[in-house]
Amino acid sequence: MTTLSDASFPPGTVITGKWNRSRYTIRKLLGKGANGIVFLVQRGENGKHYALKMGFDPFDLQSEINVLKSFQLQRNHEALKQSGIPSYLKDVDDYAIQGRDIPFYVMRYVRGEALHHFIRRQGTDWTLLVGLRLLQKLAQLHQAGWVFGDLKPQNVLVSDFGQVELIDYGGVTSIGRSVKQFTEWYDRGFWNGGSRTADGTYDVFAFALLLIHVLEGEALKALAAEGLPQLRSVNQLTALVERSERLRPFRNWTIQALRGQFRDAGHAAKAWKDIMARPAPLRRRSSSSTPRWLKNAFAVSVILLIGVLIYALRF
Amino acid sequence: MKQILLITDGCSNVGTSPVLAAAEAREEGITVNVVGVIDYGTIGELGSREIEDIAKAGGGISQIVGTRQLAHTMQMMTRKTVVQTIQQAVNRELTQILGEKVSKTVTDLEPAQRAQVVEVIDNLAETTPLQVILLIDVSASMKPKLAAVEEGIRDLMLSLQARVGQSKLSVFHFPGRHSGEEAVMDINWTSDLGSVRSLFGRLQMKGATPTGPAIQKVIDFYRYGTLEGQQEIEGNYRIEREGMLGDNVV
Repeated sequence: MTTLSDASFPPGTVITGKWNRSRYTIRKLLGKGANGIVFLVQRGENGKHYALKMGFDPFDLQSEINVLKSFQLQRNHEALKQSGIPSYLKDVDDYAIQGRDIPFYVMRYVRGEALHHFIRRQGTDWTLLVGLRLLQKLAQLHQAGWVFGDLKPQNVLVSDFGQVELIDYGGVTSIGRSVKQFTEWYDRGFWNGGSRTADGTYDVFAFALLLIHVLEGEALKALAAEGLPQLRSVNQLTALVERSERLRPFRNWTIQALRGQFRDAGHAAKAWKDIMARPAPLRRRSSSSTPRWLKNAFAVSVILLIGVLIYALRF
Repeated sequence: MKQILLITDGCSNVGTSPVLAAAEAREEGITVNVVGVIDYGTIGELGSREIEDIAKAGGGISQIVGTRQLAHTMQMMTRKTVVQTIQQAVNRELTQILGEKVSKTVTDLEPAQRAQVVEVIDNLAETTPLQVILLIDVSASMKPKLAAVEEGIRDLMLSLQARVGQSKLSVFHFPGRHSGEEAVMDINWTSDLGSVRSLFGRLQMKGATPTGPAIQKVIDFYRYGTLEGQQEIEGNYRIEREGMLGDNVV
């Protein structure tokens, strides 16, 4: 079942659907998810670019496709319409090769790079903007009754101008059920921070971990590796956040998120906007702007100078 | 739905073949999954073949992992097996409904039908009542791994609690204190995460690994819902045979 490997599909391989007879030419490997391998393909030989995902297991892949189909059924849902998610899925088929059927689906190709690569390359200044857009995406899912589940930097694509797209919908779970797929580091249960039942706060918790990962990766790694698992706790995380200089602008927000105080991503996004509206602590360290104390000192010295001059010229 | 999840690090060396015991479990409608857990070195060819064979005979899956992946593996295996068990039942139905001689699976269905079938399976997987017995090998070589096992149990409990369907977990270890005691219950059926705490703290580790008899013991537990009645009968029986049994330990 898991003999599916990228090596068997070199660039140029043509995939023909067993049911719909559509043809796709593989251009390159885009990545591997928990449920399958994703390729960049072109429709026919020189057509439009898409991403094509082959599944390791027909059941798991179909389960993921069903979620994407539900988005299409909900396409009139206001929040989902804004997110553009319903138009994600383009084709579903099987690729018959060497006597077996490999299930695949074709989706919109999103150009961009994984969140942590983007921040590393473009700088942490982008965190506020990209974070807000990600929270808004999550909020749209939550409003439509879904939880993303497997939120991690690899599943968030950011394009050059900070546009955010969620990829890999294998973990998407309807609210109230058990989260289908998750990654330890970002999982609320792993940190003894609550249940694995899908609710809005689950994604917000994962978002907070993602933020800590991007800004304080080394410290988080050390924390996850050290000590006994039963001692792992939200308090350890909040202590890390409080110590961190880089997380300083996000301190209160992150602690609230870790403690489950935002009921969903929409609520969390509103609070995030408040950080953006009070940019003082974030900008203070940048070298280009002049600190207020310096301006004040300058003003005082100018007034003194004028005073001295007036005093001097009187005589 | 009933499952046994066996966690071991090597070959059985006492009593009935664990492969036979696993086949018996399957006959009772119980799926047997096996995790081989290793940290340094390998599990040996004999050990890894046995692990694979137990799972095959028990209709389940097997995997050999390090302690770091243990928790995740236990959780994934349990989930996967639930889905597979339902899938197998559905495949049987499909073959029957379609009235063909060749067995049918979901990939034989055209995508639209497949979507519906998988939706049904997904729903059942989430809502079916589930019972899992964890059977933990605590022979001497397992000692350094038991902290990871405990973490795995806690983690599994957390995932089970999140299911919509009722889920219960029970924990056994083997071997017991003396030769007649194939498996000892640590936790009776529970859905409470709090009860999973310092399970194996005061255990005396022994060398023998009676995997087969231990599996049979938990099959009995599934059958009768209790160990006490069984143990009483066997207890009397044991007194007569005590000397004989003692020699069996390798």
